[in-house]
Amino acid sequence: MLQLTGYPRPNGQAGIRNYALVISTVHCANTAAQKIAFQTGAHVITHDVGCVEFEQSHARTCLALLTAAKNPNIGAVLLVGAGCEQTDLPALEREIAETGKPVGHVTIQEAGGAPEAVALGVERLERLKAAAVQERVPIPFSKLVVGVQCGGSDWTTALAGNTTLGAMTDRIIAAGGTVLMGEVAGLPGSEHIIAEHAVSKEAGLQIIDMCSELRAEFLETRGQAIEEVNPTPGNKAGGITTLVEKSMGNIKKMGSAPVQGTIRAGEAVPHPGLWIVDIRSDGPDANTTSGFAMAGANLTVFSTGRGSPMGNVAMPVLKVTGNPEAFQALGSILDFNAGDTLMGTDVEIVAERLMALVAEVVNGKETKSEINGDFEFIIPRERQR
Amino acid sequence: MKALWINREDNVAVVLEDVPEGAAVEAGGICLTAGEEIPKGHKIALERIPEGASVVKYGVPIGKAGIDIPAGSFVHTHNVLDVTSELCRKYAEDYRRKEAE
Repeated sequence: MLQLTGYPRPNGQAGIRNYALVISTVHCANTAAQKIAFQTGAHVITHDVGCVEFEQSHARTCLALLTAAKNPNIGAVLLVGAGCEQTDLPALEREIAETGKPVGHVTIQEAGGAPEAVALGVERLERLKAAAVQERVPIPFSKLVVGVQCGGSDWTTALAGNTTLGAMTDRIIAAGGTVLMGEVAGLPGSEHIIAEHAVSKEAGLQIIDMCSELRAEFLETRGQAIEEVNPTPGNKAGGITTLVEKSMGNIKKMGSAPVQGTIRAGEAVPHPGLWIVDIRSDGPDANTTSGFAMAGANLTVFSTGRGSPMGNVAMPVLKVTGNPEAFQALGSILDFNAGDTLMGTDVEIVAERLMALVAEVVNGKETKSEINGDFEFIIPRERQR
Repeated sequence: MKALWINREDNVAVVLEDVPEGAAVEAGGICLTAGEEIPKGHKIALERIPEGASVVKYGVPIGKAGIDIPAGSFVHTHNVLDVTSELCRKYAEDYRRKEAE
């Protein structure tokens, strides 16, 4: 059994990192927030909102900032505001403080200007970081939350990368941990397979309903059924013939464990097991990873055939490729080569090697995304429902 | 040349390099002759798949043979029907009916 270590948090979760995080509460404070982060080695969340937003949009902004700050990998938080923004900075600070982690703030108007806010912010964050120092101790698998994702796909992604991730998922679940699946736009086409393996009728129905709604929304917004535009011409050129086939390649990452149910944006995982994070966003891969961060994920394991450089503000992102040529060519962004499975090596053997690396990363080994300083976050947007 | 036979239930395998017409292809202990050119990452029929029968990959039906597909054939959109929408709609209906009972 692999031994894990981390940072137990007062609310019962555990971090595998003790990152310091600077959060800009409004677009006008982005530059000050970036400068503070640069001078302290902290990660930073900036965005283009936080003021003059419609209610629903602003609620999502605040939910994303709050739940990213609450992520157990974050040890200390500094909020950086202008002073008159729509975002309720004191409320955000109070809610983050409820987790027990050190949190503070600085605003440009109170500090007497932007350079003054940067100087004050650096000083305050250094104090918060000192208060957040904690020893690594052994943690059980039940505290570990791992997201599985793919992007920058090629023909090896389903065959080698995602298959290896699936075997890893089975191991994490068997050990008592939690795995998060996202990318729900890719689930219609395999709902009959996922629902069949759900832990309960209720969980199965959640999956069926989610996929029915996704199909209806797709038709309503684009005027075409999902099957009419999928597989895409690029998918077909790569060898995918039907939507079931495309979707099966996607859900390989979930392995064979039963799905416990779905959770919405910013919801914490109710109990260990395999969960689907139901965030219906279009757009870049960072939507999914950011959604995992908002659910309290410690780590994302990301399968990519062509080579994605993406990281996340709240966690290491471990890159697995099924393409041995990509692994040779893109060594500075890829962590693990699962391409042996194509050459006939048993996927279970490759997954065992991947699990050993996962444990090393949990225990502090930096992923390429961390070494490269790639700490992205975007606020996942979706239609109100 | 090698092809990857993913699941014991599958009647297709995935070729791992570009296969020229007439080449010998080995998949899961079966030796086949490629009936036509098959690009890397695409599917080859491991056995004859009669018209209307399921094309099985990852251990699940991914579509139906639109015509009779001989062993060794290139299996793709030209000879496979995408029946995803009927399959999923029927499953969802049955699931809800069972749930209601």
